[in-house]
Amino acid sequence: MTLLEISGLTLDLPGGERLLHGIDLSVNEGETVALVGESGSGKSLTAQSILGLLPARSVVTGTVLVDGHNVPTMSSKELLGLRRSTAAMVFQDPRAGINPMRTIGDHLTEALRLGEGWSAGRARERAIEMLAAVQMPRPEEHLRQYPHELSGGMLQRVMIAGALVGSPRLLVCDEPTTALDVTTQAQILQVLIEQRQARSMGMLFITHDLNLAASLCERVYVMRDGRVEEEGSARQIFRHPATAYTRRLVAATPTIEITGDEPRASTELVRQPVLQVRDLAKTYPGRGRESVRALANVTLEIAAGEALGIVGESGSGKSTLARMIVGLELPDFGKVIIDDQERHGRPRRRADRLDRARKVQMVFQDPYLSLDPRMTAGEAVEDALRLHHPELRRPDICSRALTLLDNVGLASTQAEALPRTLSGGQRQRVAIARALAIEPSLLVMDEATSALDVSVQAQVLEVISEIRRERGLTLLFISHDLAVVRTVCERSVVMREGEVVESATTADLLTNPQHEYTRLLIDSVPRAAAIA
Amino acid sequence: MSRPTPTLAIKVLRSSRRRRVNASWMISIIVLAAITLAAIFAPLVAPYDPDHIDFTAIYANPGWAHWLGADALGRDTLSRMIYGARTALLAPLVVVIASTFLGVVLGLVAGWRGGWLDAVIGRLLDVLLAFPALLIAIMAVALFGKGLVAPVIAMSIAYAPFVARLTRSLVASERARPYVAAYRVQGFAGGWIALRRVLPNVAPTVGAQSTLNFGYVLAELAGLSFLGLGVQAPTADWGAMINESQAGIVGGYFLPAIIPAVAVVIVVVAVNVIGEEVSDRIGGGTPT
Repeated sequence: MTLLEISGLTLDLPGGERLLHGIDLSVNEGETVALVGESGSGKSLTAQSILGLLPARSVVTGTVLVDGHNVPTMSSKELLGLRRSTAAMVFQDPRAGINPMRTIGDHLTEALRLGEGWSAGRARERAIEMLAAVQMPRPEEHLRQYPHELSGGMLQRVMIAGALVGSPRLLVCDEPTTALDVTTQAQILQVLIEQRQARSMGMLFITHDLNLAASLCERVYVMRDGRVEEEGSARQIFRHPATAYTRRLVAATPTIEITGDEPRASTELVRQPVLQVRDLAKTYPGRGRESVRALANVTLEIAAGEALGIVGESGSGKSTLARMIVGLELPDFGKVIIDDQERHGRPRRRADRLDRARKVQMVFQDPYLSLDPRMTAGEAVEDALRLHHPELRRPDICSRALTLLDNVGLASTQAEALPRTLSGGQRQRVAIARALAIEPSLLVMDEATSALDVSVQAQVLEVISEIRRERGLTLLFISHDLAVVRTVCERSVVMREGEVVESATTADLLTNPQHEYTRLLIDSVPRAAAIA
Repeated sequence: MSRPTPTLAIKVLRSSRRRRVNASWMISIIVLAAITLAAIFAPLVAPYDPDHIDFTAIYANPGWAHWLGADALGRDTLSRMIYGARTALLAPLVVVIASTFLGVVLGLVAGWRGGWLDAVIGRLLDVLLAFPALLIAIMAVALFGKGLVAPVIAMSIAYAPFVARLTRSLVASERARPYVAAYRVQGFAGGWIALRRVLPNVAPTVGAQSTLNFGYVLAELAGLSFLGLGVQAPTADWGAMINESQAGIVGGYFLPAIIPAVAVVIVVVAVNVIGEEVSDRIGGGTPT
């Protein structure tokens, strides 16, 4: 039976801009349907229309039938009933979705006590039952806890439990695992699958991750610019995409399957190491709490022209390591040696500062924050050139900056653009050009592509591999995403809780992992290939 | 683990706050510009010498000869208003510039360096904030004598903490941003980053706050002159004019006192409207 039937849904802003252009979508009982798209494709808006959460004063046409009732024409009282018992939603960020001042118990029982008029005891029993259903270890204890006492993954389970208390027949999940680590994501997905089967709910799963959609869902809708681009079974979309856009999207989505296109470790004789990290350790003293060990005895080495991947989940110390290598933080113990020169403390003199900058440069995670908002793309690169080449004259600096921007695929007209007028991918290219302007011996990229859409990520990765081919750049590539690391790095290191647990060539690491944590990491990655 | 990026859904929520063309803003700018121009070109604009005593025009009613009437000594109120605008606008302007400079220096040092320096400057500002600006100005007059110079210096110091606190918090939050770390990694010196890159980024918000200070300073300096501690007779000044005209109120001659009072209110309101709007447009809202 059809649970959700959206047909011809359009949405216009009060200003007249059209954001959704006639969406047709359906979800049957007990079925899991994925809504896939890049940012700005309108997938979240479509999801919000199902629960009547659309922005005020927007103009909606078409129908959104949930269990036979049309949502856009509902009164607020009918909407309340819909949200209480028929459809529920799980959001991306569980911390934003739960009142931080109330306990988990309040969160779960409130709707039952106030909405359904249940007694406190009965609601409590139901809450405990739900927490047990989402695999929370100590349901009774959790009821008394506050959101800040739980990790992101635990909170997301609480959110799911909260969505399920009203026994909804349709569950809408908007990127429920995007903010989570891959191992946590695997657990959350397990919970969702179990609950769907136990309740024969319909589930609409919104994600930007094609692999995830394919591994979880029976049918997939691909959205782009407010339109449904393609619809079909997960297998069909992944193996035989019909439209050019879906084909590009599938091609751009990195997988952890060994396909033979990964960079090979060079067979040349032992090359000079560019970076040597020896027994690096750092502990942050906890104020009134336990101190946090960020790094413990980390030792690694990168040879000239090599790309080393560092893989780990949040809290593994990989970013701390990057910040120490570029000198933004000082280690408690251990050495960082770049080009046979050891680093000591903070540079005092100008010559030291410039010398250090020429040894190593960094591309930061968030291109929205790592560019000075007031400096144009060209100025950002020129700044770096002027500092390191005071002998160059203005026109030379300008032309060099344009060449650098051109190398990363930016047109000369974009040199005058401020960061806020550039897209995420363009910004990250500016950041790369800025780092390359200094011609460093080593480039550190800290989650440099994780904030980008897959197709943009593919372009940025392409830029990086081109530059590596042309200049023989030595690269330290930090990422949580094994699939991306596979396409970039010859060798990889897996980190957990500040320690290196395994180090091998990337291909070996993926096909023959030695450490149990590496195995867990690899098994947690959703795979499209798993679908028959 | 990627952060949520601004998606279509968020843009929709933001776009519902459409900006209207703001009439009060336009009017404020026109009024302030007119008064400023009149003050600058006072000798050309004013119909009379502001100190010219005309016994035939004592408490003259508004008319063709005296547009806004005349005071107890028959001096033309309009001319005195125009000349009075010079001290009324110039003195607060000096205070705003001086207090902004002082506050930005203190705030930048405290916010950028942090640590003990931040703590020391923070306590110093707390002490200064405990005294009302007017009180500090009166103390300065008591120590250094009447006139505008002592109060202007005192007010510059008294208003610096407001600017300094805002600058400090803005700089401290900018300092934690990745773009500052990126400059460091590129090899730029800390002082250069603070002065050439961070300061311009916080300047608009600080400037908006300083603009708002202008109105308060103007009102307080006028109050000082009213008390007879600021601008001294016979120089034309709005505050002093209200003071001089008090006697007339008993006799039923309200205009010479009311006109400068209304002028003070109009300018203060106009400046605040402009300041609020500017800080709104920058996106920081009204800093508190």
